[in-house]
Amino acid sequence: MKKLVIRVVVVAALLVCMNWVYSKWFFRNDLVKYSDIVELSWQVADDSCRIVYVGESSNNHYGKEEPDRRKISAYVSEYFPTVKMGDMTREASHAQTYYYMLKHIPEDAAAETVVVTMNLRSFGSSWIYSRLETALRKQLVLLKDYPPFFNRFLLAFKAYTIHSDEEWDNMAKEARRTAPLDFPYEFQHPTSDEWDKSMAWNGWRDEEGNRDQAKTELACHYVKTYAFTITDDNPRVADFDAIVELCRQRGWHLIFNLMAENVDKANELVGEDLLFLMRRNRDYLLQRYGSMEDVVIVDNLSLVRDVNFIDQNWTTEHYYEEGRRIIADNVAKALKTFYPNEYANPNTLHYDYGHFRGNPAWHPIEASRPCGAGFVVDSLSSDWDEVDVAFFAKPSDSIASIFLAAQCADAEGQKTVKTYPLPMKHYGVRSWDFHTQSIVLDSVFKASNNVKLYLVNTSEVPVEVSALDVSFHPANLEPEIKGKRQSP
Amino acid sequence: MVFNSIEFAIFLPVVVLLFYLLPQRARWFMLLTASCVFYMWFVPKYILILLVTIVIDYLAGILMERNSERPKRKKTFMIISIVSTLTVLFVFKYLGFVTENLTRLCALFGVETDLAVNIILPIGLSFHTFQSMSYVIEVYRGNQKAEHHFGYYSLYVMFFPQLVTGPIERPGNLLRQLHEEKHFDYDNISKGMRLILFGLFIKMVVADNLGLTVERIYDEPSTYNSWSVMLGAVFYSFQIYCDFFGYSTIALGSAKLMGYDISDNFRSPYLSRSIAEFWHRWHISLSTWFRDYVYIPLGGSRVKFSRWAFNILVVFVLSGIWHGAAWTFLFWGFAHGLLHIVEKVLKKNAKTLEPQTKVGRWSIDLLNVAKTFILVTLFWVMFRSSDFAQMKEMFVAMFSNFDVERQVVVDWQNFLYLGLFILSDIVLRNTRFDRWCDGKPLVLRWLIYAMLVFMIVVCSRVENVPFIYFQF
Repeated sequence: MKKLVIRVVVVAALLVCMNWVYSKWFFRNDLVKYSDIVELSWQVADDSCRIVYVGESSNNHYGKEEPDRRKISAYVSEYFPTVKMGDMTREASHAQTYYYMLKHIPEDAAAETVVVTMNLRSFGSSWIYSRLETALRKQLVLLKDYPPFFNRFLLAFKAYTIHSDEEWDNMAKEARRTAPLDFPYEFQHPTSDEWDKSMAWNGWRDEEGNRDQAKTELACHYVKTYAFTITDDNPRVADFDAIVELCRQRGWHLIFNLMAENVDKANELVGEDLLFLMRRNRDYLLQRYGSMEDVVIVDNLSLVRDVNFIDQNWTTEHYYEEGRRIIADNVAKALKTFYPNEYANPNTLHYDYGHFRGNPAWHPIEASRPCGAGFVVDSLSSDWDEVDVAFFAKPSDSIASIFLAAQCADAEGQKTVKTYPLPMKHYGVRSWDFHTQSIVLDSVFKASNNVKLYLVNTSEVPVEVSALDVSFHPANLEPEIKGKRQSP
Repeated sequence: MVFNSIEFAIFLPVVVLLFYLLPQRARWFMLLTASCVFYMWFVPKYILILLVTIVIDYLAGILMERNSERPKRKKTFMIISIVSTLTVLFVFKYLGFVTENLTRLCALFGVETDLAVNIILPIGLSFHTFQSMSYVIEVYRGNQKAEHHFGYYSLYVMFFPQLVTGPIERPGNLLRQLHEEKHFDYDNISKGMRLILFGLFIKMVVADNLGLTVERIYDEPSTYNSWSVMLGAVFYSFQIYCDFFGYSTIALGSAKLMGYDISDNFRSPYLSRSIAEFWHRWHISLSTWFRDYVYIPLGGSRVKFSRWAFNILVVFVLSGIWHGAAWTFLFWGFAHGLLHIVEKVLKKNAKTLEPQTKVGRWSIDLLNVAKTFILVTLFWVMFRSSDFAQMKEMFVAMFSNFDVERQVVVDWQNFLYLGLFILSDIVLRNTRFDRWCDGKPLVLRWLIYAMLVFMIVVCSRVENVPFIYFQF
């Protein structure tokens, strides 16, 4: 017996030592290798972000032709120029992943508020039993609350759900076959599976009654994706509940950002019954989380129109710029309750371009063509009659010259372009100089809804421009020049 | 359930605990239930196939015993049993291959038809059907009494440590032990744990990590230079060895925890000096199965040379297709058989000079070991290739891509793992890890255990890498 006790003690001591060695020299590397989402958590802490936006692909998708490819979170940050904001974006992730991302933000981080993407589709069986789940669950193993060495043991011995693609598909199908749909009225299809089969059998038909196979398939996909009823035992509900609890423990403000779905398409392809379910699920979430103390839920479900969805043949939350801005605007309004003094609507006061978040740090302007640093200003108010341009420039020759070009179009599409020379006081060739110029805009632009501004290099020699800021303001007000705070 | 899973890490201690807590009369039932759970963890319905072969062979055993005085009848029962077991094996393992080739053959003669059937191979089918057949043959030969207890017979076929990838046990060894009363013995637990630790290390740390490089090379061999392709081939030799040896060692350890000794399946095969020796050291339970039930009944070596060569080719071709229903496996088996014959011819005709010094003998041995390893490695290329096209691509890349720039990137740790394994293989050449530990100082032993545990946990691959021999 004594021998056995000694052995148990030795084994325990060895395990403690191994845990120490592993934590000290191996764990961080393994986290980066196998649970790289944790790097996002570290990054927002390193950046001293006060607001953290957590999301999936909806936050980093843009149209291929779009000049402005910023994320929703980037648009949101425009509303709070003095508050440092960061994002933790990971494609195909969901609330369970978000929970671990948030949990691993270091205790001493500057985070005060978290905005968590709430994706309606993620509550459905198609996503709960997605083929990506094996990989997603694997990357959470090292992030569990056990000692690091034990977590690595769990990972080595595959202590996470492993299923083949076929098995996941079967589970999703089984859930669609068995989970009842909750309608307050008589509805002919008790489950999503039956509804899907009926849709496939009867087909989508146009006004003349002709079957359209492509639309039929898409309609079936919409049924599979959205025809479900969220109940208290939905695993995502448990995940979002855990996020609420975590935010309470950490003293963070919490905003759930319920993303817009393509309700126009759902209505066109399937009809009111599917919309009813989507709204019913939305109401469940609004009621559940809206009633919780310290939780704000932003409802974007029906705000984005079909034309602003990038993917027309699949269900996603990937929006064109206008859609992203709508979501951002709504989130910003919710954030305003926590940061009333820092809120500044960029669409009416100030338009900032030139930080090139995620793009190359220095933006070269090629000779004599619009530099591409074009910016579009919507809703230009007639009160704002001066444009202020601040930037750093590095010309490669003393003959370089830069103009500001403003372009607007009238109702017939007729374009008007005016150029404004930007006089340079002193050129330090091949070195960075900060410039700020104020120009009074012509009245033609004040009457326009949409103005495009370009920096144009009219010389043959290249000029590099960075940290470009543009602000509109009444002539009698002093401009705010953010560019001065930066050094290249 | 696989051995390197969290499920097995929970399952095994529970089974062992129950085993020692229960009285002897209840143990067979508990072990049989555990074995069913273990097998059904993969695909539950396949247990029905197992049940069919168990019932047929169980009845055949009893009927053969009852008709021991009537040889013709006895033989008939044996044939019925063997044919039905082989039919199950054929349907699930070879029917797809045969129909696919028939379809191709028809196409060659201009007949467009699709006879191909796609049947998923139940896990471990080749192993437990062979184990079942060895029982029937032994009873027929009178070497083994028929088992009248259906539970014990079922347990003999289904004993979970060796159910899915062997070793293929003989009734004389395992069935006998199942009837014996086992008492708790710390030594068995200690030895069992050692074997499991060592098995997990060579499977999870060595085999799986080498597999990463092998996958890269075999995915697109022609894009790598010859040295990389050769490295991939060498790595595969060790991957398949460590994978299978690791699994067998864990099986041995799991059985040992309950006091059962199952057969060793490997004895440092890459230290063999000839192909013949290699097959005495590689997958021993299968080699001896073919020796006892195919080679010797065909006449063995006590026949004319031509007949012997024929016997050898038959055994090796059968061994090839036992591994898988594909022409590459058949070719692999044939190549081994042919080399075996060539070796014998050369040995017979060559005038060998016996070196007089120890160094001289070692040098000759070393050269022979290297020669055998190279040949076996080249043959593994056939074995690993999915078809002749990939095999050709591998060989072409191996010998003609010296000017290609792309080189496979291998983590230095892989060489460390491989080096450790080779060292252990040399040290354990004539023994086994559990026995080797016996005479070592306590501190050294525990240091080795700690190192193995640490490496298993920290250095293993996180992806799910199935055991290679599961596919057979």
